[in-house]
Parts: sequence; structure tokens; C-alpha cells
Amino acid sequence: MSAALSFKNPEALLAYAEKVKKYRQQRTMEIRVCAGPGCIARGGREIFSAIKATIEKNKKELKKKNLEVGVKFEAKCTGCHGLCEAGPVVTFEPSKLFYSKVKIKDAEEIVEKTVLNDEIIKRLLFKSCDSRGGDLIKKYTDIRFYALQTKVALRNVGVVDPSNLDDFIAEDGFKAFVKALTEMSPDDVIEEIEKSGLRGRGGAGFSTGKKWRSAKRVKQDRVWIICNGDEGDPGAFMDRAIMEGDPYSVIEGLLIGAYALGATDGFIYVRHEYPLAVKHLQMAINTLEKAGLLGKNILGTGMTFNLKISRGGGAFVCGESSALMRSLEGKVGEPRAKYIRSVEKGLLDQPTVLNNVETFTCVPAIIDKGSSWFASIGPKSSTGTKAFSLVGKVKNTGLVEVPMGRTLREIIFDIGGGIIDDRPFKAVQTGGPSGGCLPVDKLDLPVDFDTLSRAGAMMGSGGMIVMDDRTCMVDIADYFIRFLIGESCGKCVPCREGLRQVHELLDRIIRGDGELDDLKKIDRLCHTMEVASLCALGKSAPYPVTSTIKYFRDEYMAHIEEKKCPAGVCKSLVKYDINKDCIGCLICKKQCPVDAISGENKKLHVIDQDKCIVCGICYEVCPVDTVDIISGGEIVNRRELEVVNP
Amino acid sequence: MPKDRSEKVRVTIDGRSIDAEKGKSILEVARECGIEIPSLCYHPGLESFGACRLCVVEITKPGWEGWKKLVTSCLYPVEEELIIDTRSEEVRENRSVVLDLLLARVPESDVIRQLAAEYGIHDTSYTKREDADTCIMCTICVRVCDAIGANAIATLSRGPDKYVDVPDKDACIGCLACALSCPTNAIPFEEFVNGKRKIWGREFDLVYDEISHEPIGTPEQIDHFAEKSGLPKEYFLKSDKVRKKETAVTFARVQF
Amino acid sequence: MSKRLFVTPYRCTDCKNCEVACSFVHTRNPMKPALTRVRAYTLMGEIKSVVLCLQCEDAACQTVCPTGALTRNPDTGAIDRTDACILCKACTMACPFGNIHFDPAYEEIVKCDVCGGDPACAKYCPTRALVWAEEPSPDLDPEEEIEVMPLPWAMTMPAK
Ligand SMILES: Cc1cc2nc3c(=O)[nH]c(=O)nc-3n(C[C@H](O)[C@H](O)[C@H](O)COP(=O)(O)O)c2cc1C
Ligand code: FES
Ligand code: FES
Repeated sequence: MSAALSFKNPEALLAYAEKVKKYRQQRTMEIRVCAGPGCIARGGREIFSAIKATIEKNKKELKKKNLEVGVKFEAKCTGCHGLCEAGPVVTFEPSKLFYSKVKIKDAEEIVEKTVLNDEIIKRLLFKSCDSRGGDLIKKYTDIRFYALQTKVALRNVGVVDPSNLDDFIAEDGFKAFVKALTEMSPDDVIEEIEKSGLRGRGGAGFSTGKKWRSAKRVKQDRVWIICNGDEGDPGAFMDRAIMEGDPYSVIEGLLIGAYALGATDGFIYVRHEYPLAVKHLQMAINTLEKAGLLGKNILGTGMTFNLKISRGGGAFVCGESSALMRSLEGKVGEPRAKYIRSVEKGLLDQPTVLNNVETFTCVPAIIDKGSSWFASIGPKSSTGTKAFSLVGKVKNTGLVEVPMGRTLREIIFDIGGGIIDDRPFKAVQTGGPSGGCLPVDKLDLPVDFDTLSRAGAMMGSGGMIVMDDRTCMVDIADYFIRFLIGESCGKCVPCREGLRQVHELLDRIIRGDGELDDLKKIDRLCHTMEVASLCALGKSAPYPVTSTIKYFRDEYMAHIEEKKCPAGVCKSLVKYDINKDCIGCLICKKQCPVDAISGENKKLHVIDQDKCIVCGICYEVCPVDTVDIISGGEIVNRRELEVVNP
Repeated sequence: MPKDRSEKVRVTIDGRSIDAEKGKSILEVARECGIEIPSLCYHPGLESFGACRLCVVEITKPGWEGWKKLVTSCLYPVEEELIIDTRSEEVRENRSVVLDLLLARVPESDVIRQLAAEYGIHDTSYTKREDADTCIMCTICVRVCDAIGANAIATLSRGPDKYVDVPDKDACIGCLACALSCPTNAIPFEEFVNGKRKIWGREFDLVYDEISHEPIGTPEQIDHFAEKSGLPKEYFLKSDKVRKKETAVTFARVQF
Repeated sequence: MSKRLFVTPYRCTDCKNCEVACSFVHTRNPMKPALTRVRAYTLMGEIKSVVLCLQCEDAACQTVCPTGALTRNPDTGAIDRTDACILCKACTMACPFGNIHFDPAYEEIVKCDVCGGDPACAKYCPTRALVWAEEPSPDLDPEEEIEVMPLPWAMTMPAK
């Protein structure tokens, strides 16, 4: 529609929305090509271009079939569809047809067969992993991964074209903002958010309404509002998907917040590694400034709100609120020790409200549909939905959003489809690098802020890493500690020196030099880190260790007492041996990088343990699985496991 | 806000009831009353930094139903009704771990060894750092240098690898304040080597008094202080002793 | 009215009692006369004079101090060096009268603090060249007094 939109008043915006929706009603088919992080990596964008080009070629044909491009038919590029595992993803509306693992060369076929002739290309259908047979599923609404989700924060991600304001407006975009502006006072807005029970999605889970209210109570002329899009957790990409796929919703949330707080200036602090998020947000900001929805005299109401993007400082700890604010002030992004809350003295020592991307994205939905609707989702103390990025040894990796209070089992086995190769589930780590690992018997815990922290894990920002039986819990604890060592700002003693020593102690256990006393030392250290560290990074850094010691103590004991790694992972405690079933095929001998295997054709091969570097290649390449992993004098092979998933 | 300062709040430290000036930290108030709290990164002339965590104390309030919280006393401001315990089991435990960790970091530092010994630690239970110097990363030097306005010292890198250095050697004015303020004497310097001063890997000339031939400071230092204070540079070119004698002459001249 | 230090240099006999008293009060074991805050001089072989911190109203040492470590003590009127000192020695360089020093042995800045309100130098001055009093010495001839007390600095002690 018109290129340079500009709305003089709220009514003009509403009228325009009506117009767009009416126009869109003529649309009989829409193709949505995923350009989320996962699909882009596999060529999502190129597929979109190829489809666009084919459409261009077939324009006349399409018109003949009553699919006039731009009116009755449209192809667009959207944000993440969620099921990244099956990417690149292409979907069709309103038929809800779902194509997975699409390749560039499929573009022509898609247009010619599916668009022009309603023909389904079987090879592109999604193969369900729910049952062994692998049924082909046509509609995404029939895929359990999607069927079990409830989308609030991700409502527009994968639906709208992030660069198209019309698209957003057609999905009721800015309806909530107009409602707040015209029907509610700023205090009404805060009350509504407070009543909804919305808790911050960035980690700590603090009540958003309360935070806004206390910032408002501070008597200061200026309030800052900041959106935290730093998302530094390895494997997490919820905020990225939202910022890239639905930038307007984030901004609408910020606008409502700015209206409620009387803030005139705001920032979106975007992680350094997210250039596409910056691009999409910047495009959205530019469009909105022209449209009269940002800047001075917004929608003719006299409200002023200037929004800027700030690129992150490039460190995990920059996501911590005081570090983020220092970074915004142009200083080194390190947490500041203080006992004054940032809602009172934040950016430039002025009251500051900092919320997570997902938190802000929930705000318009709450204002639009009402606090009681939001509060009715999930348990009383943790209302609403939460987005998770499901990664690790799970079949359907991707982005999911579920009501709070769903169990881990539902998320991992029903939505996630279970463990890859149907191996046994061992643990799930929630809450980012400093979260805790929960074992099988915690699978039925409902996922909400309080339950998770009681179990020694945490909600964090919503990362969920699933581990199977091939994971050594001591090794994994050490992995997270090593990550945190690299990310600790190094300011306070417990975090800086404590992490180093915890790593040293874990490393000893992994090397087989551990003693029983080491566990006690770790316990003591972890306690001091938890209570005496300066910022939440150090305070939560021990969780991966304390939770694994708590739930997988026998595994630690096996390392210490029997010098055995039950998962067959820790190299110093493991050796490889070829058993008598060897067929003498020479494959392992040829592949061994250090020539440690001797043996002749059709004769038993032997590994020279002095030469062996425990790389495991022989184990991987043996065609008849005769290489054993031995640890603590026992065979701890990682193969041939009965499927015992709960 | 001088008025704010004189406002009083009533706190209890180790069972003693104290009227404390609002806005002051627990550490300041305790020390004024002669209650010793160990500290390493705190310096009365600099903004509190909260890095060493040695000054931790336990606080509670009447309404907290026995719930206690560990806080760093150099940062936590005194509040009405605050009950502070500077010697509880938990406090001692955490100070011990902190000192044990520091001892692993700087096994050669006498200051830390002595402090650790006070907490019954004679050898660290952890892995000692190889090639350890005696820097504990309290960053007093960094803050001293910032206060002086030279901003020459910075912390570099992150996590356990973090260290202090002078990234831009030209910014250093060679005043030695950092080295003299360092609680563990971790900043080496040399004076009067061939009439020069050496610190942070840089050699500085020294300005000597023309009469007494006593060293005054480096030319960079003199320029910096003169410029900062707006006082005439001539002020800075004589040694304090020579000037004192000149004052005596002035005194004498006035009367005769 | 609070007490001030009155200096009458010409009464000084350079007996060094003040120096000894000062270092006795201020320097720890061992006593270090070199670190006395007050100095008596014999100039050109015959003229005697005594010098100590004038506690200037608009003091150069205070101006140059980066941490505000030199603060006026409301009880004694003296400028005291507090723990906030970071040893940059700017004050020792800036004082036009050479009355603030650095002690390299104890690594601290030393200056006259009027002994917290009871200056030992005045107490032990046998010739009343140094007097700690509210008023100039009554036994002085007013004519003479004007002659000997013209130093603006000595008079700028905050008179309360
Ligand atoms: C080490 C560390 C990293 C953090 N990283 C993020 C982050 O990437 N994104 C985020 O929203 N919050 C992060 N937080 C939490 C923020 O400090 C803050 O609590 C949050 O942004 C507040 O928003 P909310 O109330 O909406 O959750 C981090 C906290 C810590 C301690
Ligand atoms: S990136 Fe395409 S589905 Fe996630
Ligand atoms: S003195 Fe308080 S943290 Fe170091």
C-alpha cells in the first residue's frame, strides 16, 4: 500500500488497519518462507529469492488461476517458524501446508505444482518422529511440535514479514498501544500489567508491573526504558527470533511501557552478534518515525518517545543489568556492585526500567486481551507462556512456546519428540550456562520460575539443553564452568578465583586424580560463590556443579573412587580395546591417526595402549562394533542400549 | 548533600547500638566505632568497588523473621534498625574461603599470608597460581590513577586472566601513587637509578630542586598537577624543604 | 572564640624545642626529628625564625588534592590529612610555604594538625615565639605586635 505512511491521530491508524485487513481478505494464498536463524544458515533466503523469481516468471499463469500477485497471492519471508530441525521451512496459508528441508532447486516445483496445481510434493512433507513409522504430515497444525504450543510472545514470529508494517498492522499491530493511549491512563496500564502477573523473562523473574511501579514512584524528571536483547546464553535464540522476526511487537511493548512510565527516551540493547536483529529493528524504527509512531508528538497526542539501538559490548556479562547500563554509558560493560536498585538509580544514575525482549513482547498482548486472559494461562505464581530454545540431543530442536507449568517431559518428549536415536534421557539443563541439570526423576516437574529454582535449576532466559546417556555429568559441569570462566568479568574474588579453582578441582576428578575431599572443597567454594559474589553471574555460576553433584553424585563417586567414567567420555579414565569378535577388516587400523592398531587381514586387531591417544576413531568406524570402551575395568560402551525412555 | 549526611539512623553492630550518619557504609560506621572489619579493596578516598568481598558482614532486621543476608559492608549503606553481625560463623566462613582463594592467587604476599593466618589458614587448600605476583586485583591503583586524573591504569582481559596494566605508557605521569597505595605492594618501581625513576616499564626524568638538589617529581607529574589545580607552575619547582626555609626568610624579613 | 597559633618569629631563639616536641608527638618509634612539622631556623648565621603550617584559608594543598583528603577540622581549625590520601604528593609540591611533607619510611603525608588542639610546639616554646591562644599574647606591646604579626596567613585561621 502507500509507501510513506503517516498517522496524524489514533483514529487514522485504526482506520488504516481496517483498510489493510479488508484488502487482505481478498488473499487466497500466501507462502511463508522461513528466514529464521536456522533456516537462513541452510539457504532460506536463497529459497525465497528463487520462489520470488519463479513467481515473477509465472505471473500470467497465476493471474489466469485467479492468483493475482500482490492481491490474491503473496510470497513472503518471515522470522523463525520454530521447527529449525526441519529447516528450511516453507508454509502455505490458509491451507497450513508445511514443507520441510526445502532446497533451492525445489522452488520451481513448489510454484508449478503446489501453487498453480494444488499438488502436494510428498518428498517435502515433514516426517513425524512421534511414531517409528514416520508418518508424513501435511499440515503444521497436525505436527505435535506445533499442536502443543501456545504462542503469545512468538505470536507474529514466522507469521509476519518483519520488514513490512502493513503485515504487522494486519495482525492487530498497535491496537494495544492505541487502546492504552486512548482508553487507559498510565497508571491503568501499570495496574493491568501488575494484575497479569507478568514476570520478567530475562532471568530473575521479577514482577514487571512492580518494577514499573517502583520506577514511577521515584521522583525524578527522567525515566529511561531499556530493552535487554543481549541474549548471551549459548544455544538460546528466543530473543533473537523475536527481534529478527517481529521487531514491531518489541517496539510496541516499549511504546506502551514508555507511555506508562512517562519515558521519553529508550534503548534496545542488542547483542553484538545479531546484525540482522539490528537491521530489522532499525528498519522498523525508521518506518515508525516516519509514520508518526516514534519521535515527537506520537499519533498527535503530544507523547514523545525516542528509541535508539545500541550494539552490545560483546560479552555474556553485558546482559547483566548494571553492566548493560555501564556499557550504554560508554564505559566498560562490567557489573557494578551496589545496593541501590536500577529502577531508582540506573542509567546515568536516573531511574531506569530494564526488561527483556520477550517481556516487552508480552505487554501488547496483555493490554489487548486483558490481564485476566494472561493470568489464566499457567500457574498463579508464574503466569503466561514462556519461550524456550530446545537444543541438544532432542529430535525437534527449535523454538517453542508453552504455557508455564507444563512439565519438562511434555516439552522434551511431546514437543521435542524425544531423544535422538531414542537413546535414554539423562539430564536437561535449564537456565543458560549457569543453570542446573535436572535428572530423569525431575521430568515431571512443572516448568515455572519457583519450581525450577527449588529444584536447583532456574528458568533463566529459557535455554533448554537436553542430554542423553552419552554425556558425562562431571565433564558437562566442567564445560559450563569453563564457559563461565571465559565470561566472568573478573572483578570479584569469589567469581574470578572461585571459578578457576572449581575448574581445577573438576579437572582433577576428570583426570582421575580426584579425592573425596575435593567434593567437600567444591561444596565450600560453591557456597561462597553463591552468597558472596558481586553479580548474578557469580552467584549462579555454581548451579551446574551443585546440581550435578546433587543429582549425579554416584557419577562423581565413580570418577573419584573407581577411577571410572560411566559415560565413557573422560579421556584419562577411558581406554579402547578390540574384543574377540573382531573380523580383521583393517578399517580401524587404517584410520588410526597414530598407528596404534596392529593386526592383519582377517586376524584379531590389537590396540597398543601406550600409543593410543583415546581419540575414539576406531570405535566410530568399526563396522561390527567390536571396539569396547573400558573404564574402571568395565565395558562402558555407549551403544546397544535398550530403549528405556520413560 | 551535607544536610543528608548529618541525618542519623540507629543501627546495632555486634550488639552495640550506634547512632550512625545516614548515607555512610556499614564499614565506615563500624570503623568509626573501633569495630574492625578486614578489607582489601576499600580505600576511604575512593569510591567503593566491592571486589575483594573480604568485608562481608551479616545483616538482618527485626521484621525479617530471623532471615539473614550476607552483604559487603564497604558498599551497604546503614539503614534504620539494621542489625549487623561482623563476626558470625557465616561471615568467618566466607572470609576464610576468600582468603584461601587469595592465598592461592598470591602465595608470596606477606599481607595476604598474615590476614589468612588470622583466619587459621597457613597454606592454601587450592591450586597455587604459577608465576604468581602479589596483585590481588583490588584495583585501588586503577581508581587512584583515575582520581589523580591521569587515567593511565586499566584492567585488561576478563575472568581469571584479568590483570592491571598501563595500556598507554604516555598517559602515566610517574607519580608513584599507585605503587604507594597498593595494599600488597604489587607494583614494582625504582627510584634514582641514574637519576631517573622507573615504573610500569617506563623511565622518567626527575626534576631536582636547584638549590638543595632534592628530587621533586617527574616533569609529567609537575605539569599535570599544575594544570589540574590551576596553580602557577613555579609553585611546583622547589622542594618542600627549600620552600620552608624561604618561608622562614620571609617571616624574618617581615619583622626586620 | 577558638584558639589559634600565633607566631612571633623574632622571639625564636632556634632552640629546637618545638621540633623535638613535634616529632615526639607525631613520629612513632623510633622518634624521627627529621619529620618535625615545625622548623626553627638560624638564617645568615644570626637571624632566627620559626615556621609551621599556616592552615591557610584558601589552601593550595586542598586545591590540588584529588581525593579531598585534606579537610578542615571544625574543632581545631587545622587542615587534617585523612585516610582518603592516595599518596600522590601533589600537596607537597603545591604548598607555597613548604609546610606539607612526604615521609618515605612510613609512606605517608605529614603535616601540622595542631596536635588535635593542643600543639606541643607552643606548649614547649620557652620564648613564646609560638603561642596557642584565643588572643595574641597580652604581654606584648601592641606596637610591637603589629610589627610582628603582619603575616596574613598566620591570621587567617578561621576565627570562630
Ligand atoms: C550474567 C547475566 C547475563 C544476563 N543476560 C541477560 C540477557 O542476555 N538478556 C536478558 O534479558 N537478561 C539478562 N540478564 C538478566 C538481566 O540482568 C535483567 O534481570 C533482565 O534483563 C531484566 O528484565 P526482565 O525483568 O524482563 O527479565 C542477565 C543477567 C546476568 C546476571
Ligand atoms: S530458523 Fe527456521 S524454523 Fe527456526
Ligand atoms: S573491602 Fe569491601 S569488597 Fe573489598
